[in-house]
Amino acid sequence: MALTFSTIDDDANELVLKLGGQLDALSASELLPTIDKIIAEKRKLIVVELSDLELIDSSGVAAIVALYKRSRAVGSKLKVVGARDQPLAIFKLLRMDKVFNMA
Amino acid sequence: MADTPTIVLSMPASLQYRDLAVRCVTSACHLIGQSADDVANRDASRLELQRTFDAAFISAFSEIFNNIAIHAYERTGEGGVKLELTPYADHLVLEISDNGKPFDLSSVPAPELESLPEGGMGIHIARACLDELDYKPGPPNRWRLTKYLREEGEE
Repeated sequence: MALTFSTIDDDANELVLKLGGQLDALSASELLPTIDKIIAEKRKLIVVELSDLELIDSSGVAAIVALYKRSRAVGSKLKVVGARDQPLAIFKLLRMDKVFNMA
Repeated sequence: MADTPTIVLSMPASLQYRDLAVRCVTSACHLIGQSADDVANRDASRLELQRTFDAAFISAFSEIFNNIAIHAYERTGEGGVKLELTPYADHLVLEISDNGKPFDLSSVPAPELESLPEGGMGIHIARACLDELDYKPGPPNRWRLTKYLREEGEE
């Protein structure tokens, strides 16, 4: 299953990055141009929405960690919502669920 | 299950084939100690246990496959990987062999999670998700992944 992603920016202060499918060693690089664009916009809040994400590996986690670090560097806040099943288990295993304010 | 059949699968050691391998491994996860009748009569708690098992085993397998494709074969896509899946009554064993560069599993440090690393997490994930992770350098290099289907804390 391929990675799917889209952005929703109805709110001037907030941008939602919605990910689905698989975020992994094969697909994580596809996100880079979108991450560059999101960072350049310097929104107050970036929400990464993962309810349609089926599988994540360490490379996929690294992509989200990179987004988190870059967003902080430009003064944006980032939170991750909607993760379930395997992706949620991986974030908890790596103790990143609290870092990303995952409910 | 009277016998313990082993399912053998060979494929190129390329990330393009990982999804295919994940589907096969997921199916093998569902063969642990189950007859066809058992599968039809699974209760909710068993399904949740199975879902947790599947997620952990697939997480571990994905990281090892990545390791082989990215490090052992250096992303060349050349060379192959052989999977041997054996579903026992209460656990699953997956042996993976490759002919890429050997690897020193004991030299891999635990990641410093507090610093939010952007790499070096794969082996940590695999170890944490399995009951046993073994590796013998080759050729062929042989990984052995073992996980029991049981509740957390259950022996």
